[in-house]
Amino acid sequence: MAEKKKIFTPVSEKEVTRAIVDGFARQFIEYVESDCLIIGGGPSGLMAGRDIALKGVKTLIVERNNYIGGGFWIGGYLMNKVTVREPGQKILEELGIPYEQAVKGLFVADGPHACSKLIAAACDAGVKFANMTIFDDVVLREGNRVCGAVVNWTPVQALPREITCVDPIALEAKFVVDATGHDACVVKKLEERGILKTLGFGAMWVEQSEDLVVEYTGEAHPGLIVTGMAVSTVYGLPRMGPTFGAMLLSGRKGAQVILEKMKKG
Amino acid sequence: MNNLILHIPASIDLYQEGDLKGLNVEELGRYLTEKTHIPFHLYGDIYQGLPEERMEALAKEYARIKVKEPGKKFILGSPLQAEIDYEKRRIGDPNWRIFGILYEGVWYQRIVSESMAEGELDFDRCSILFTNQLFVTWDRDDRRYHARVSLYGFPNLISTTGLVEAPAKPKEFYLKKQMGMPTELLKEEYQGRFLDYGDSRMTEVLKGYAMQTLFFHLSGEPFCEDRDCRLFNSHWQEEVLHSQLNGQYEFCPRHEAVLKTLRDQTPLALPLDGGGWGWGCIHET
Repeated sequence: MAEKKKIFTPVSEKEVTRAIVDGFARQFIEYVESDCLIIGGGPSGLMAGRDIALKGVKTLIVERNNYIGGGFWIGGYLMNKVTVREPGQKILEELGIPYEQAVKGLFVADGPHACSKLIAAACDAGVKFANMTIFDDVVLREGNRVCGAVVNWTPVQALPREITCVDPIALEAKFVVDATGHDACVVKKLEERGILKTLGFGAMWVEQSEDLVVEYTGEAHPGLIVTGMAVSTVYGLPRMGPTFGAMLLSGRKGAQVILEKMKKG
Repeated sequence: MNNLILHIPASIDLYQEGDLKGLNVEELGRYLTEKTHIPFHLYGDIYQGLPEERMEALAKEYARIKVKEPGKKFILGSPLQAEIDYEKRRIGDPNWRIFGILYEGVWYQRIVSESMAEGELDFDRCSILFTNQLFVTWDRDDRRYHARVSLYGFPNLISTTGLVEAPAKPKEFYLKKQMGMPTELLKEEYQGRFLDYGDSRMTEVLKGYAMQTLFFHLSGEPFCEDRDCRLFNSHWQEEVLHSQLNGQYEFCPRHEAVLKTLRDQTPLALPLDGGGWGWGCIHET
């Protein structure tokens, strides 16, 4: 009787380990210095990264969670439908995300489908990721220009005090994007140092605040671009509901700002 | 003179700020003149013709007066450059469509007055700025800021955004919104029960609010307690729609009598092509 052919090629454990370490190390060494370092892998960070990388710019996204996508997997009340207002649906179309019109001007898509397509679009564009990596501090240069970020393994935070002496490491970049949502972690670090003052975010609901988030997206400090909900925190804009159009458009605008600045040199 | 009339302004000056989404300011001016016989002037965009350095200074001022926490007394801020740049873009564009920032109303009024030319802001003029921006004022009773439709003084401010956001919508609207129902779906469900952006009834409704500013100038008291009178101080959208569109009369008998006295005492102005009385002139820069 003929021996049954194995489906997978036999590979030893050590080869698997070498492949992981080698692949990770090569990418990490390459991206210790990048053109654009995005802190936060939610919808605005992904959108910014995707648009920048499409232009051939070396882009790394740092994400503290294992999963990429932030809150884009689910909509309000943990329901996995995400909504965008016009013209946000044009980006859904561009990314090949199916959607339907709920009412005039409002479109709804499946969260898992929308989020996975956005992540894939960023990957396809050439964005690289450092997930399970937490932002710790900013790297500053002459004139307090932001030129990178200090990061660490996310699990370090959860370790007992006796073994939390894991020093962080620094990544350098021409531009850093704060896409960390309401926390605005990067800007907050500048605030701690007395370099920049955030305004906290407005408590009153105003329907049109999505427009404001896009309008205010830009360079908050030399070398630091702010996108997404972090914009609300930095400039004290009113709260928004669970619609993602502003996140996508803000990410796109952040990318435009960076590309223009790079062009000017 | 009717004992409610303390002072009759010589003219009603109408200014605009931003995209007012179909509000017909000229029609509104004609209405005011028809009701009072006081002539109106259309000045258009309040910032037109201001020199660059003046615009820069105004932008800085506006950027300082944002109210972040409605439950806390406002203090003047130190704006970031991006906030000043935003204000420069905003006031530099007569068709600016974006709103949502909450400005401290009394300070806003003060800054607007600084942008007006010398002589334009006068006790003898009832100046009204129609804006698409949102302002709030502090309520001493519940110790928090509230969005407003209008603010009286020199000049008067009337906000088209305030008209949509300030008077409360039906209670169930907010409950469902808190439960995560998208605003667009709620608008469909409660259609007609409140005013929305670009609402075709905006001009008609704001005629009543403009009359309130005029009564403030005439008597110091802009409001009436009669909910059928256009001077009623509405707190709910339902009240706005009733007093401005569905009341049993336009003005209660008492205020109608004041208007009649006013018309009798005010020299008749020139008739306009489209009916009513008064004249319109676009401000030369």
